[in-house]
Amino acid sequence: MKQLLDQEARSLARSYPISIEHVTKDYGGTAAVADLSFVVKPGRVTGFLGPNGAGKSTTMKILLGLASPTAGRATIGGLTYHQLADPTATVGASVESDAFHPGRSGRNHLRILADATGTPLERVDEVLELVELSHAANRHAGKYSLGMKQRLGLAAALLCDPPVLVLDEPGNGLDPQGIRTLRNLLRSRAADGNTVFVSSHLLGEVEQLADDVVVVNQGRLVTQGSLDELRQSASLVRTTSAQALLVTLEAAGGVVENRRPDTLIVRGLSLDEIGERAFSAGISLHELSRHNDSLEDRFFAWTGDTDGGTQANAKDES
Amino acid sequence: MNWTRTVRAELRKLTSTKMPLAFLIVLVVIGVATAIAVAAGTDMDGSKAFISTAADQQSLIAFASNALVIAGLFGAIAVAREYGHGTVVLTFLATPRRLKAILAQLAAAFVAGSVLGLVGAAISAGSVATGLTATDYGFMVSAADLSQVLAASTLAGAAGAVLGAGIGALIRNTGGAVTGTFLLLVILPPLAVQMVSEAFSWMPGTLATVVSGVSNEVGIGAAIAAIAMWAVVPAAVGLAAVTRRDVV
Repeated sequence: MKQLLDQEARSLARSYPISIEHVTKDYGGTAAVADLSFVVKPGRVTGFLGPNGAGKSTTMKILLGLASPTAGRATIGGLTYHQLADPTATVGASVESDAFHPGRSGRNHLRILADATGTPLERVDEVLELVELSHAANRHAGKYSLGMKQRLGLAAALLCDPPVLVLDEPGNGLDPQGIRTLRNLLRSRAADGNTVFVSSHLLGEVEQLADDVVVVNQGRLVTQGSLDELRQSASLVRTTSAQALLVTLEAAGGVVENRRPDTLIVRGLSLDEIGERAFSAGISLHELSRHNDSLEDRFFAWTGDTDGGTQANAKDES
Repeated sequence: MNWTRTVRAELRKLTSTKMPLAFLIVLVVIGVATAIAVAAGTDMDGSKAFISTAADQQSLIAFASNALVIAGLFGAIAVAREYGHGTVVLTFLATPRRLKAILAQLAAAFVAGSVLGLVGAAISAGSVATGLTATDYGFMVSAADLSQVLAASTLAGAAGAVLGAGIGALIRNTGGAVTGTFLLLVILPPLAVQMVSEAFSWMPGTLATVVSGVSNEVGIGAAIAAIAMWAVVPAAVGLAAVTRRDVV
């Protein structure tokens, strides 16, 4: 019991929610991020999802004090990155997958960070072991594969054992074994009460990694919530009068997708509301049930990319 | 955040790649060329007059002008490549106060430039001494003058590296920073003298010869202050730019 209480106390002491509050970032009149607000909770793995150019990296850079917002603020445990007493002991980040000097060994790359943060050099070998990169520690980072570079970036983020992890596209280039290791690692850190914020445009990766998702498109928040809730927030309706029902439900404020001639996927209206609207319009229903979308379907619905072009693009770039 | 560990990290950056070795090779090549010139070279009249006095030999050993340029390029590459390779992200994550991060980079460049300047002058002195063994002349430079040459090169190396680091932070591109440093230290001074002849005394090369004790265009104190200004102004401009810019 005491052990459980101690564990809880430790979790609370290390509780650092991330808060993005009305953040806007303009680049020469173009808004990379527009009035973006959301919260990332401790104890959860939160996926930050959006197509390329959606504003994910910019938001992360603002959070980490690498870019200044045009308006709004981004905080970690209520403080901006600059205000944190010991930023690297609080936040571990990896925002560039190839931010290494190609002629410097992976071990020396981490030793530099260890020097700067006052971390004992022995910890360098520990994190290299943790990300399974010990065998290549003395090799020049320029000769690493993309997956090895990702591991090195993750090692740097974990060096000071921080309670908050901010990782930009950490799964890029990882093989299935690497993805599994990453998933286990992030889940285990979240289970310890840490805050884990991971951006990705790889939907399958987020689906495997995340408890919660924040979806952005064109710099704006599209949706936020638990992955399970978001998946279940749609209803499936089968009717022989699909077109008439589509018009009725859209008029009632629903977002309706006509998947097949007799099938509609409806969001924004409860099952009861859909049933009542159909009844009022004299439309008979053959099925009305909760619908669990795949994340891919949801993503395209959120971002308005109905032809899957973003996904294809994302796969190409990965 | 501790200042000492920030500077230590910057020094480890400078010493954990092959760049210092490359610059050491450059210094050795210059040294070998100097030794060959001393051993085999002659004046126009075929004599060895250019090594016949202590002052001549001190002029040959004086490495401060070279140290300014070589350490300038070192500083420019060291800082600009941080942006090119994206490692500056890690720097600013570990030290979010940009002023402190850049001051640590400048401090590390100062130390590295000092070492480059000192080693360059030592190799130069050794090369002249070695070359002289193949001639009828002995090594005539006094210990005091030799010390001044070494100190001047150390100072010039430090100043050059800080100047280059400032330009590197300002331009953020290795090729651009090298070009900028070369323009500032090598190309622009003679052009400036063409336009304003009085400016000659305050050009980096002239100031380097003054502190080396082989010319007296200005007082040595004024020369040291002027060399420091040549370093501080670009460094301050680079620092101001970095503190205002986003890391993209």
